[in-house]
Amino acid sequence: MFHKMWRSYFTILHKDRNSSKCVRNCIKHINTSVVCLSNGKKEAKEVAPKGLFENLQNKNRDTYIETIKIFVNRDAIYRRGHVDFIYSALKNMEEFGVQKDLKVYKALIDVLPKGKFIPQNIIQAEFMHYPKQQQCIIDLLEQMEDNGVMPDYEMEDMLLNIFGKKGFPLRKFWRMMYWMPKFKNLSPWPVPNPPPDDMLDLAKLAIDRISSIDAQSKTTIYHANDITDSIDHTWIVSAQSTKQKMLLQEYNEKDPVYVEGGFKVWLRSKSVNYFVLRGKPKPIKEDNEDNDNVSGLEVPYFGLKPPVKKSLSLNTSQHEQEDGIIFSVCATGTSSKDSLLSWIRHLEKDNPKLATIPIVFTLKQMPGDVTVTEETDS
Amino acid sequence: MLPLTRTLRSLTKQRTGINYLKTSAPLQVFWERTDKGGYRDDRQYPPFKDRMREGLKELKKEIVLWKQEVKDHFEGDPVLIFRPGEVDVQWKFNKPECLDKWIVTTDSDNNEGYSTANLDLTQYGKGAFTGHLSMRVPKDGRVKRAGYCNMRTIRARKSFKRESHFNWTSYNMLVMRVRGDGRSYLLNINTRGYFDITWNDMYHYVLFTRGGPYWQYTRIPFSKFFLASKGRVQDMQTSMPLDKITSFGITAAERFEGDFALEIDYIGLEYDPNHVEDFAYEMYEMPKYIVAT
Repeated sequence: MFHKMWRSYFTILHKDRNSSKCVRNCIKHINTSVVCLSNGKKEAKEVAPKGLFENLQNKNRDTYIETIKIFVNRDAIYRRGHVDFIYSALKNMEEFGVQKDLKVYKALIDVLPKGKFIPQNIIQAEFMHYPKQQQCIIDLLEQMEDNGVMPDYEMEDMLLNIFGKKGFPLRKFWRMMYWMPKFKNLSPWPVPNPPPDDMLDLAKLAIDRISSIDAQSKTTIYHANDITDSIDHTWIVSAQSTKQKMLLQEYNEKDPVYVEGGFKVWLRSKSVNYFVLRGKPKPIKEDNEDNDNVSGLEVPYFGLKPPVKKSLSLNTSQHEQEDGIIFSVCATGTSSKDSLLSWIRHLEKDNPKLATIPIVFTLKQMPGDVTVTEETDS
Repeated sequence: MLPLTRTLRSLTKQRTGINYLKTSAPLQVFWERTDKGGYRDDRQYPPFKDRMREGLKELKKEIVLWKQEVKDHFEGDPVLIFRPGEVDVQWKFNKPECLDKWIVTTDSDNNEGYSTANLDLTQYGKGAFTGHLSMRVPKDGRVKRAGYCNMRTIRARKSFKRESHFNWTSYNMLVMRVRGDGRSYLLNINTRGYFDITWNDMYHYVLFTRGGPYWQYTRIPFSKFFLASKGRVQDMQTSMPLDKITSFGITAAERFEGDFALEIDYIGLEYDPNHVEDFAYEMYEMPKYIVAT
């Protein structure tokens, strides 16, 4: 039986023109690479020229697309070295700033010839027909996944035309189309994709996000210019709610309040430094009454007494935490001590009590740090 | 690489400059040799004397554990009613001993990256998982991408180092009180099985953090967790076997380089009778030989 199977497999291999051609192509490819390596005359035989992307002067989307077009038009029939070309194109995407562009990925897939890689029989389908090409497109799809680019149905059609319905890249595509929409908008604190480049917009987003804990909190943009004697002329994005104002009004004058920071908050790939106006924590009232304790039940039938007056207390707000009371948060354009001083002066207008409370600056980082930092993916 | 193949390789290289021979060992097996997945433990085995000394110290602790187990068995007082809204805390961060239950790993531990991470207690007695995510890939030609930091609990076990499982069948929510930095983190629930294909079974979900000075209270139903193995989401999904939980972990692996900080108060479990969903992800019938290939 095994013999039979083996024979039929070979007959299929021989009958099929595609596979024999594939073998021939393979041999040809090996021959050329051998020649390349041993002769050292690379320019004559090399299939995918090196530095196609690296040597370009202007690195932007247009030149990237143009390079793909040049490659496609250079050798319209055989399009030799397309796998190497796609790999080098994938490697250089970030330098051209196209790593989040779906159209560019489509253009890269379009480099592959249509129909040629579609398996003609079950064995070809099962043993990954044209494995290098399939693996190359799987890697491309994975790069899309890493960059959070969701494919569309046009891409499915392209993959169907190239690899047929049993292609492995298509399976990857289906998996992506199942899972990616499920996670795309999952975050309860959505941030625009890509996040804004403007520092002020980013700071507004960050402060809004932090203060979203209290629906009543209001985000205000102050300008340091409005304060006399301010050195840094910059903007200050600050958030405070009515509850926080009340808490500050009730705060003991003898205890100091602290201006703490720069802490980091991340909005996708960008981070913003923010500062906190924090007071000393309120003593926590421990309610030790055990509701499950049935040993001391009072029976109302004997010796009726008026119910014991329970001590009332206000519910603690979100701003009162174990590590202190948060009175306000802010982000400034320069994150300098002077801009924070201007912030306190602005807050004093709404919270007159702040003028009487001692304020301690405990800044973690040296003043003068840049607020917004963009992290480049390496 | 074997020395023989190494010499052969150098020979062929000298003569022709081309590699004709395959020098890496081909993988001809489906089974996995070790649960480390190819990562070797290069730490030196301590000498006999030290092992005996350490072993006796361990014995003391194990007997304490065993005593407790026997006591629990004869007392026979298991929790039978799980009241809604009541959080049973599994891992709390309030004492330095709490940190002993956690293992922190980064890609730099295996020379596969440059990320660093720490798990400490803050001055207010909360756990702080902090560090730096670096996406710099070491130039060894083997590693394709880098940048992860991970904290996970030690495996559930009984006394005398016997392996066991956490049984969370009475709960349907994971409850956490955390304070993050706006990054999202990955929650991992490991359900390691006996056979090698189930060694890396892990259920994941995302933990989004608000960022800022406020603590956040997160409840995630177990039905939302999805199955993956070695970081690859599986085609055939099933709901989590809640009686076969071996460990829990949190990963910081966002594709943005920089510092991260996640403060954790506790990680607990809750039963919510209003949540009846068993598994959140629908499955489709597919043509043959497409799924799980």
